[in-house]
Amino acid sequence: MEFKEVVGRRRSIRFFEPDRPVEREKIQKMLEAARLSSCAVNAQWARAVVSFRDDLTKDQLKRLLTPVASLNVEMAPVHIHWFNDLSIVNKIQGSRLRELVDVGALAPTHGWSHKFVDEFVYPQILKPMTAGPGYPVASTFDVGMAVSQALLTAFDEGLGACMVTLPGAVLKEVFNTPDEWIPLSTTLVGYPAESWQAGGQRPRPPFEELYYEGQYPKPFARDPKVVENLKAAKMIQEPAKPNNPERIAEIKRLADKYGLPM
Amino acid sequence: MVNEGEPEPPILLKPLLEYVTVQSWIDGLKQHWGGDPATDDPERFPMLEAFCRHVNRDPDRIIKETTMIKDGEKRIRSKGRERYAGLIDAWQDEIPGSRIRQAKWGNTVRSFLIHNGVLLAAGPQT
Repeated sequence: MEFKEVVGRRRSIRFFEPDRPVEREKIQKMLEAARLSSCAVNAQWARAVVSFRDDLTKDQLKRLLTPVASLNVEMAPVHIHWFNDLSIVNKIQGSRLRELVDVGALAPTHGWSHKFVDEFVYPQILKPMTAGPGYPVASTFDVGMAVSQALLTAFDEGLGACMVTLPGAVLKEVFNTPDEWIPLSTTLVGYPAESWQAGGQRPRPPFEELYYEGQYPKPFARDPKVVENLKAAKMIQEPAKPNNPERIAEIKRLADKYGLPM
Repeated sequence: MVNEGEPEPPILLKPLLEYVTVQSWIDGLKQHWGGDPATDDPERFPMLEAFCRHVNRDPDRIIKETTMIKDGEKRIRSKGRERYAGLIDAWQDEIPGSRIRQAKWGNTVRSFLIHNGVLLAAGPQT
């Protein structure tokens, strides 16, 4: 699938085929995509524990359920739990920046050198940053980018996925993660039981309310020609509509199939 | 049935549509799915009524026991919600017939709670 279509097709899938296994290689591809995401100072804060639902004990699965996410969690055969390893910056102490210098990604043309990393960047910026209150938020932003790449890869592989938040303390205990790892969100993965359209692209606020040019509040002008181009490339797709009879019929069919309340 | 202690006399139920919460349920069903929910499934009201008799509570009281008003806002009572989730699960298991039939009974009551703002999920029941 072309990149723009993958972006256009991604939407939160909440009905999975519960008994259709997901190929292990597809999960690996998602993780490979996460590993290649952009990341500040190449620290790589993102950690993930892949959990195959049927490998969990009944009690473990029950403890993961929340009122909002329980059905999705029970239906999805694979759960990828994401964490932020806050300890990584002080473990690697700038070594991955030095790697970037070595491979020419960071060059003297931009002021970079081993000495700059060793004498300035790590001790004077990164190390104090890890003690600051904004550190978990800033580093989690980068984990989010990794998760996003994994999410898009799932759709490129013909899977469905959605993000949920599960109880962090339970995640840490069930999956035995190190103390320094902050539990974040979980990607639920499986083959969609609903159509890939799933009622259409989800409603979004107007473009002009989100993006600005020069200075706030001047909106970034949205060119209709670009919009048409993206429609042709299937990135911008048919939007979901309220009371869509086809979607209502689809949900009724799924409710019947899986014995769900309406 | 719901509370331990002195047994309460069996509940006297009015016609279900006279309860505000049943009206909310029907309105919600109609808004979401269309049709005429008051008549399109002849089993709908008998199923809710059977559950009400099982727990000896009228529909409004069930919602009252699963929600509360705090700081002027309607909130879900976690313990009440969990208690009713368990009661529905157990009641459903006692319904004669297939698992699909049992799920329909349980889901009818869950639907009543859901359309009154009380989130409930029972997982796939196939």
